[in-house]
Amino acid sequence: MDNAYIPFPSKVLEVIKHTETEYTFRLEFSGDVKPGQFFEVSIPKYGEAPISVSGIGENFVDLTIRRVGVVTNEVFEKYVGDTLLLRGPYGNGFDVDLYNQGETVVIAGGTGVSPVRGVIDALSKSDDPQNKYAIVGFRSPDHMLFRDDLKVWDEKLNLTVTVDGADEGYQGKIGLVTKYIPDLPIKDVNTAKAVVVGPPAMMKFSVMGLLDKGFKEENIWVSQERRMCCGLGKCGHCRIGEKYVCIDGPVFNYTESKGLID
Amino acid sequence: MGLDVNAKKMMKNAFRVSKVRGETASRVRIPGGLIDAKSLAKVTEIAEKYGNGNIFITNRQGIEIPGIKWEDVDAVKEELQSIIDAIGTNQVDDETGYPASGTRNVVACPGARLCPFGCYDTTEFAHKMEDVIFPNNRHVKIAFTGCSNDCGKVRMDDIGVMGMTEPQYDPDRCIACEQCVKWCKKRSVGALSMVNGKVYRDPDLCIGCGVCVHYCPTRAWTRSKEHYFRVVLLGRTGKVNPRLAEDFAKWLDEDSILKMGHNLYAYIEDYISKDAPNGKEHVGYIVDRTGFETFYKYLMKDVTPGPKAEIATTMYWGGKRYDRSNNLK
Amino acid sequence: MGFVMNQEEFSKTIENLSKNYRLYAPVIKKGEGRCLDEDIVRYDFVTKAEEIELELKSDYSFKEILLPLSETLFFFTENETKVADKNTSDVLVFLRSCDLHGLRRLDDMYLRNGKEKDFFYSRIREHVQFVLIGCPHSYKDCFCVDMGANKIDEGYVFTIEPKGDGFASEIKDDDFTKYFVGQSEHVKVSYVTENETKVNVPNNVPLSIYKSDFWREYDARCIACGRCTIVCPTCTCFTMQDTFYDPNGKVGERRRVNASCMIDGYTNVAGGGEYRKPHGQRMRFKVLHKIKDYKARFGYNMCVGCGRCDMVCPEYISFSTLINKLDDQIKKEAE
Repeated sequence: MDNAYIPFPSKVLEVIKHTETEYTFRLEFSGDVKPGQFFEVSIPKYGEAPISVSGIGENFVDLTIRRVGVVTNEVFEKYVGDTLLLRGPYGNGFDVDLYNQGETVVIAGGTGVSPVRGVIDALSKSDDPQNKYAIVGFRSPDHMLFRDDLKVWDEKLNLTVTVDGADEGYQGKIGLVTKYIPDLPIKDVNTAKAVVVGPPAMMKFSVMGLLDKGFKEENIWVSQERRMCCGLGKCGHCRIGEKYVCIDGPVFNYTESKGLID
Repeated sequence: MGLDVNAKKMMKNAFRVSKVRGETASRVRIPGGLIDAKSLAKVTEIAEKYGNGNIFITNRQGIEIPGIKWEDVDAVKEELQSIIDAIGTNQVDDETGYPASGTRNVVACPGARLCPFGCYDTTEFAHKMEDVIFPNNRHVKIAFTGCSNDCGKVRMDDIGVMGMTEPQYDPDRCIACEQCVKWCKKRSVGALSMVNGKVYRDPDLCIGCGVCVHYCPTRAWTRSKEHYFRVVLLGRTGKVNPRLAEDFAKWLDEDSILKMGHNLYAYIEDYISKDAPNGKEHVGYIVDRTGFETFYKYLMKDVTPGPKAEIATTMYWGGKRYDRSNNLK
Repeated sequence: MGFVMNQEEFSKTIENLSKNYRLYAPVIKKGEGRCLDEDIVRYDFVTKAEEIELELKSDYSFKEILLPLSETLFFFTENETKVADKNTSDVLVFLRSCDLHGLRRLDDMYLRNGKEKDFFYSRIREHVQFVLIGCPHSYKDCFCVDMGANKIDEGYVFTIEPKGDGFASEIKDDDFTKYFVGQSEHVKVSYVTENETKVNVPNNVPLSIYKSDFWREYDARCIACGRCTIVCPTCTCFTMQDTFYDPNGKVGERRRVNASCMIDGYTNVAGGGEYRKPHGQRMRFKVLHKIKDYKARFGYNMCVGCGRCDMVCPEYISFSTLINKLDDQIKKEAE
């Protein structure tokens, strides 16, 4: 009998430092995986932590990890050449092909950028990048992730990078992501699609902004972050209503997620 | 013929000399504070028939029936018999009332008969102690309380007994919900902590209150089969040196405590001041005179504490000394 | 087909069974309740007939055999991971109809929810068979009839119940006949057809009830101790727990322990996020799972009406009363 709780080893290929507490670990992996899915990073004797896939390559996955607990603390002790233990990928992930059609806007906040990094990347390489929008928000300029990506995306699609607050003299945009939703130059709100990922309050108000703008509920997708111990639909922690975020999500169409009350 | 009452004899017979000339009050002994409803009805009957229709509930869980004429004392004694029988108070002869009043009513909180936190049957222990020490004219106060919370205020007594349980931990039933840790901190001394996902109990800090057992949702914590006790000694109120009882023993057993109750009287007999008024002197003052070691030797005679018991080798009492200074600081 | 046994014959039968099976049954645990001299009935392994408690309703359910309160999954040394061993010899579990209905919920979660079967559940589950304890009468707090869990026709090898001065067993699986000592007789297992406690489970729970003030009462009343979920034969949540023993952190283990959506910490995510802080919201989450959310996923209600949650609640919150109050509230809102 297979034991899905046994993790497999994966070599650390590269460590990219975004901020003091946020690193991306590039790890050896060559199975099927989609943006929006997640891995359980397993540190024996310390525990496991669900981490979203923030990048996918030929033989690697990127996991962008915020140092917030005992497990992630231990992960930060790892260097290139070390081995991490993983289980996954788990969850449904984003259907990137779907968002490549027509007008699409991705709204992401903080570490919520990780799961949609692959989506924005794909949109930036689509046939009509002029119809693709991304609004990306961070708490402050110091909290910014994926700076190199932001430069590339900015050249290709319509990118808005904003921070909640900044010291005097900051040149960039300041304000919550929701501030930029009304001004999106969407041509057809009936078919335009939106992906929203971030902290609960940010997601709630972003979806409200999109609906106000005329987006159809069925064209909005959100990714839910919940406590996930097993990733296998057993432990129960991530249940909301009849759904288990780890196996039914974390990506939900808004028509589905609006009925899920914590 | 004038009213001639042997007041001293009456007092020993549990009839108080009232401030109202010609009247007495009958003191009813209720060890452990538990009285059957029939006996209480009898108290009411006596109060209505011989008293002034009122009943005092005393500080020490006894009852005083005031307003009784000295002439009716014999009739009251006759009526008291059914109460004495029901409660099982030791007596010399039937229908002679209570044979002594010096040793005060044995107090007990409701304990495990009523309180979820009670670590033993306080009423039962109070009755056992009563059987050992009563009747006796020496002025001794003994009290029992179910747990370390001391709702029975046993620290005001000569011998105060507090129930303890030694929490038993089954790590296989522990889910690390940490409620025991939380509640031990909130309601007790904070003797528990999490180590490697399981609970560690600091045996030095643990006072055996059983709060952990009470709040454990899985029965990882259970009570020890053995009942243990903390014994505090020589607390008192009074005019000269009121003070709280101090810890003498912990994790002690019932038999040892009953023997200590018996031994205390032997000590008093040998060392009480010859001119103590009415033969009454607080034990504490006697110990102040003889020193702790003599007291200890008497108290622990034939006492064989169990292997878990810890006994103090020396004791000090504090409290206010009005005989030295009455100043407010 | 069945057997009627006197005390001695029953003892012999149990003795025969325990040669080939580990027997897991309700047992009176003297003084192991939270208050002094309070006994509880919970499950444990037995080898003698006298140990098995067939009269009293158990305070805790049978689920601990399949979902141990605390179970080590892996042992870790410096570079090695070893799956913890498990005694997987055959087990016979003695349980009542409500609990056997509960088993279906455990199986659905651990064997059928998600793509993979749960390894640790499966490896013991495969070695467990069940003995149905007959219920000649309902107990206080039971509401199995309204939850449809009062009767069960399959999933057990034989039945057992006290009868007169002895015991009666209906044999379901003929392979077990050989263990029995007693009078061969036609026996039919008893089951409850009516409970004192009745519940009206609402058929349609509107979304508005999630936000209703209805739950506010429990913000203050519920102390979030989680006893209701620990005793529940249908609650299945767990939390992973890693630990190391030595100061160097070289040797350790990964466990899973029972978790409760009522207890603090259940929803905590790294970084401090927490959902459902008010206890009334936790109550809502639990209650609606039992009578709505689970059904939406699996097609039948989760609660089996064993009433253990009512028995154990230190604050006298009655689940069955709550369901009826909820039903009234929904009807009122619909008007």
